[in-house]
Amino acid sequence: MGKILANGIDTHYQRMPAKGVDPATAPTVVFIHGLGTDSLASFYLTLAAPVASAGINVLAYDLRGHGRSGGPDTGYTFQHFVSDLGALLDVLELRGPVHLVGNSFGGTVAFGHAFARPWQVASIVSIESEPPTQPWSDRMVQAMEYMVVQLSSEQTFLDLEAQNGAHHAKLARKAAAKLFATTMTTEVPSGRLMSAEDLRALPTPVLHILGGEGLQGGDPHALERALSHCRTVVIPGQDHSVLVDAHRKVRELLIPWVRGIHTDVPWINAAAEARELIA
Amino acid sequence: MTTTEASRDVVFTEIADMLRTVLAELGVDDAEITEQSSFNEDLELESIDLVTLTALISERWGEPVNLAEFLADKDLDEVIALKVGDLVDFVSGALARAGG
Repeated sequence: MGKILANGIDTHYQRMPAKGVDPATAPTVVFIHGLGTDSLASFYLTLAAPVASAGINVLAYDLRGHGRSGGPDTGYTFQHFVSDLGALLDVLELRGPVHLVGNSFGGTVAFGHAFARPWQVASIVSIESEPPTQPWSDRMVQAMEYMVVQLSSEQTFLDLEAQNGAHHAKLARKAAAKLFATTMTTEVPSGRLMSAEDLRALPTPVLHILGGEGLQGGDPHALERALSHCRTVVIPGQDHSVLVDAHRKVRELLIPWVRGIHTDVPWINAAAEARELIA
Repeated sequence: MTTTEASRDVVFTEIADMLRTVLAELGVDDAEITEQSSFNEDLELESIDLVTLTALISERWGEPVNLAEFLADKDLDEVIALKVGDLVDFVSGALARAGG
């Protein structure tokens, strides 16, 4: 287990070096989990080991206010999360380009980072996720308001206990208390949003993995139309929890994607040159 | 007691100690840990605690005992239902394979 100070946050992270190859020359994926009760565990316990065994370096970390990372009372715009990722890559000296694999809100953070530092991102694997656009922000405002109402009701926890057991309800209460102790519910939707032009101009290749009954099930190819380099894969019969519930399928998609794309992509070379110019 | 049983006892003792370390960080210092204890219902651990335990096991036994790989082959409901004894079985088996 590792902890490191990044952007002022005591950040918990886990690394697994690529197996069977020289880690120094192997591609690297960075796993970014979702909001609320989520933590790096959803990646660490599903994809991390098989991905490392496939010859790919793994970094997974807990977002601020989640898992074992520190959580200030305020400072939870999605821009804070984007800055945290950039700072973590800097302090770990992962100069990239790396593959960002984001689940739900974690994917939004990945898009935000690719928007800010395209030269540092080889590709994005977006799992039930979307970029930080105005429509995304508007939906997040509504989702957060709904969540606050739900988590303020004792009935929600009684229902959870009846459906999933006392332990599950206890964890939900704990997560709710943690959430209400911060400004997360009001701040998250704010930050540097991407316009339609920004999306079209994004040079980063994107693998977009969705559950057929997930949040984007109504129009699964919307992101593919908005981006210039996006391939969408819909996994039938899965909902927003596709990462955890269908992790073997996600793994089958992820590993060849990273292996196939980490070399010989012309724009990556261009981006590397850009990075040198900036440095 | 056979050698295998003795090794298994040692593994259980070490895993129980690791669990006490994890639980102590959560402010729990009086948990009863047996091979029948489930991580979820009995010890009330979260998935992130399982990550900590995985790291501790990796630190202690190294490459031959890859708990993360073992868990990655399981479905969520199987992970939720895991008991301490399941981990003792896995670690003992992995050590035996490595030794053999």
